[in-house]
Amino acid sequence: MTTDRVTTDRVTTETKVELSINGRRHVVGVEPRHTLGDVLREQLGLTGTHLGCEHGVCGACTVLVDGEPTRSCLVFAVQMDQTEITTIEGLAAADGTLHPVQEAFSACHGLQCGFCTPGFVLTAVHLLATNPAPDRATIRRELSGNLCRCTGYVGIISAVERAAVERAAVERAAVERAVTNAAAVAASAADEPSSPRH
Amino acid sequence: MVASLDQSTTTAGPIGTSPRRKEDHRLLTGRGRFVSDLQLPRMRHVAFVRSTYAHARIVSIDCNELDPIDHPVFTALSPGFEVGLFAQSALPGYVETEQPPLARGKTRFAGEAIAAVVADDRYQAEDAAEGVVVDYEPLPVTVRAWDEPQHPVHDAALDNVLLARTFSAGDVDAALAAAAVVVRREVVTNRHGGNPMEGRAGVALWEGSARDGHLTFWSGTQIPHLVRNLLAELLELPESNVRVIAPDVGGGFGTKAVLYPEDLALCLMARSLPGTPLKWVEDRAEHLAAATAARDHRYELEAGFDAEGHLVGIRGEAWCNVGAYSVYPWTAGIEALMAGGLLTGPYKVENYRCSVRGVATNTAPSGPYRGVARPATVYAMECLLDSGARALGMDSIDIRRVNLIGPDDVPYRLPTRLIDDTGHYAECLDACIERLGLDELRAEQARRRAEGGKPIGIGLACYNELTGLGRAASAGPRMPFRTGHEACTVRINPDGKVVVLSGVTSQGQGLETTLAQVVAEAVGVNYDDVEVRYGDTDQSLWGFGAFSSRQAVIAGGAANLAAVDVRESALRLAAELYEASPDDLRLENGSFYVAGSPEAVGTLADAARVAYLESNRLPPGFEPGLDATRFYDPVMGAFAAGVQVAAIELDPSTGEITILRWVCVEDAGRVVHPQIVDGQIAGSLAQGIGGAQYEHLVYDDEGNLRTGTLLDYLMPTSAEIPEFEIGHIERPADNPLGVRGVGEGGTLGPAAVLASAVADAVGIDIDQLPLTPERLWLALEDQR
Repeated sequence: MTTDRVTTDRVTTETKVELSINGRRHVVGVEPRHTLGDVLREQLGLTGTHLGCEHGVCGACTVLVDGEPTRSCLVFAVQMDQTEITTIEGLAAADGTLHPVQEAFSACHGLQCGFCTPGFVLTAVHLLATNPAPDRATIRRELSGNLCRCTGYVGIISAVERAAVERAAVERAAVERAVTNAAAVAASAADEPSSPRH
Repeated sequence: MVASLDQSTTTAGPIGTSPRRKEDHRLLTGRGRFVSDLQLPRMRHVAFVRSTYAHARIVSIDCNELDPIDHPVFTALSPGFEVGLFAQSALPGYVETEQPPLARGKTRFAGEAIAAVVADDRYQAEDAAEGVVVDYEPLPVTVRAWDEPQHPVHDAALDNVLLARTFSAGDVDAALAAAAVVVRREVVTNRHGGNPMEGRAGVALWEGSARDGHLTFWSGTQIPHLVRNLLAELLELPESNVRVIAPDVGGGFGTKAVLYPEDLALCLMARSLPGTPLKWVEDRAEHLAAATAARDHRYELEAGFDAEGHLVGIRGEAWCNVGAYSVYPWTAGIEALMAGGLLTGPYKVENYRCSVRGVATNTAPSGPYRGVARPATVYAMECLLDSGARALGMDSIDIRRVNLIGPDDVPYRLPTRLIDDTGHYAECLDACIERLGLDELRAEQARRRAEGGKPIGIGLACYNELTGLGRAASAGPRMPFRTGHEACTVRINPDGKVVVLSGVTSQGQGLETTLAQVVAEAVGVNYDDVEVRYGDTDQSLWGFGAFSSRQAVIAGGAANLAAVDVRESALRLAAELYEASPDDLRLENGSFYVAGSPEAVGTLADAARVAYLESNRLPPGFEPGLDATRFYDPVMGAFAAGVQVAAIELDPSTGEITILRWVCVEDAGRVVHPQIVDGQIAGSLAQGIGGAQYEHLVYDDEGNLRTGTLLDYLMPTSAEIPEFEIGHIERPADNPLGVRGVGEGGTLGPAAVLASAVADAVGIDIDQLPLTPERLWLALEDQR
């Protein structure tokens, strides 16, 4: 669907795109040349996505598009029709509780000015979704598409490492809980007098 | 509520611990507020038309294509644009020149703003900028500070020298004549810059009449009060009519400690379009082309040593490329004066003569960048020591040891009259070497030399970081202001919570956290009950801002003084309220305790309520309210000692360097927040490594920037930066908090360390930076 908007010196064509952003559906009219990053920031007020270089090198503007890290300065919003997008605003719980990766960035001083941080956090979320236990060398390699000018990367690498360890601990605890629960269920089932099956 | 004092309720986040940074939550959740995030009603957007020539007369600027209502265009000929930036210094040998808000008459570097266009959004503004046609008449171009000038950049300086000064002490000619050996090195360092992840941005809003309006300028500036001061002067406004707001800022590193012509242009445009907020957000290409950079230097130096390796004299010359303009407000002398003033670093030498020049060229202006000149001077100085060691057949570590200023020499007067108050260099060096495991590395180095394998080299650098410059220490450049002081207000609200209004700014250094720790401890409240506000000239009384590693020392000092005053007032009031002697009372965790009793007698919240709302309960003569404003000036500065040692491996087939180990030990004085301090060191080390190996703003002979994107200007990533081993020796400085500045030291070492490591590995002197694989491979080829 397109509509023509006439400005004083030129005619622009707007296209409607449907985006699911952080779980919420948005229908926005965009010009073909509008990048996803600009639409998120200017039209949707999602200013947590930062534009560091606008030519695809620094990675600050990284968002997840259908789960994949994507540089929002390098894709046009019109290409994003019917996609699911996660921005930095979509990670923490509604009550402000940080996502484990965000929490680890704070705990390990993985951010200073915070400008590159959204891109790093989302890239790290994707990394841990695809590789739950990366070592430091792997983390360094995987995050080398993002630039940070403040931290010297040390805190960032530690944060991702910590998030992986904590996530593994949480999962282990969940498994242990499940095993314990299953054992308790089995035990209580054994305790109960067996009833005849119907 | 009265709490009992036990371990579980002691103040969270006292000095020396690392409480959660106050900045983190908003920055991690995308709720930070950066200038580029700002959206205001009626806001319009600005794009600059930039020069495509490095040096050219502007014959005409044609904007007939553009509708003047939809797309107002501003040039140097627009009303009000007659003003300009004059960086001032009273130093003899300084030539004052003007930087206009938009190029006037001619353009002096490729990327200089010539015109500015307004539109409804940034896309349209950039379209409109293309509708402005500039007709140029090219002029001869000079790009290097040490080349014969082709055509004066400024008429006021026909030889392009904007500042010349000779630092001199003792009799260096006699000392070198009598020296056992004299070594000579000629080194050239590379232009690179701060390149913060958030570029420059501004929003200017003028409300009211052109003559008596109010200007609000949101800017990522590191120096909001200085900016207010100058804007008020240039726009002929009362200073109270100008408000400068620096919200969250995405890195600065000195690059944003400058008032740029674009900033001034934006405010002048806002005056012409009252009621319309004007927003400019630069892109990275503009940043690389037009923001200030640094360290485009050349040094020709000689050093004399006696037979034991003692430095007997240093003699030489230095050229610093100023670029096209004298940077406001720091002047064309910023790098040259620092280079000549601190070249000798932490080494004892009495005979010294160094002539420095700041030379204008047709390149982007240079300005303050983390470490100011010293990453280059430390490299030059360490090159001299390595050459001296080789000439004398000495070990490269031993020659440094015999020359380092020691604790017994302190206070040591440098040949340039600065006073070094630390002397803990050898201690840092020892700690580095111990941590590195030197003997093992030397054994491995020897093994590889004997049996083959990639050569290993060990490099080191010792440096002093002049931090927290007070009025005496900041007097050198003779600017019409002294940056020695900061103001801070500490206010206890009626609910007992504390607000700190600081004149300092933060671009990632965590000042919200550090100042809260300082104030929490000095007042006697919890860290969580302190809120720090800065970056708004309408809130804080005065501050120079963030530069020269001054924030912890000077802003921390002011916060501490104001907090102590407030605590004393609160204790005086509490003494009356709780019928105790003030001397027996103490304030901890927001509660009052009487000596000898574990139970609190009352809370700060109760007392604060009385102070603001119940004047009937105030002691006689006690003025209502609980707040204090204090200035602090350390008068001198606090030198911070630092040493870096690294082990590298070279690949002779490619010239590639792999960093095996990197150890840095600094004396940061008393550490307020260890995690933040280590973060500052790690970040500055990474910038130093970037500048030493990768980052280079390359100009061709016509003055075109050849590394104008991040594809060509290489910033180091997590794949290049090694793990760092950071250590501290904490020797409290002579100021109320005992702190030393810590933000810059890391940048000072890497070029010197890497060059020294290469020399150690393969005996090649690196005389030019950056130390790229190509440069090293070519040097190895020459050697073969």
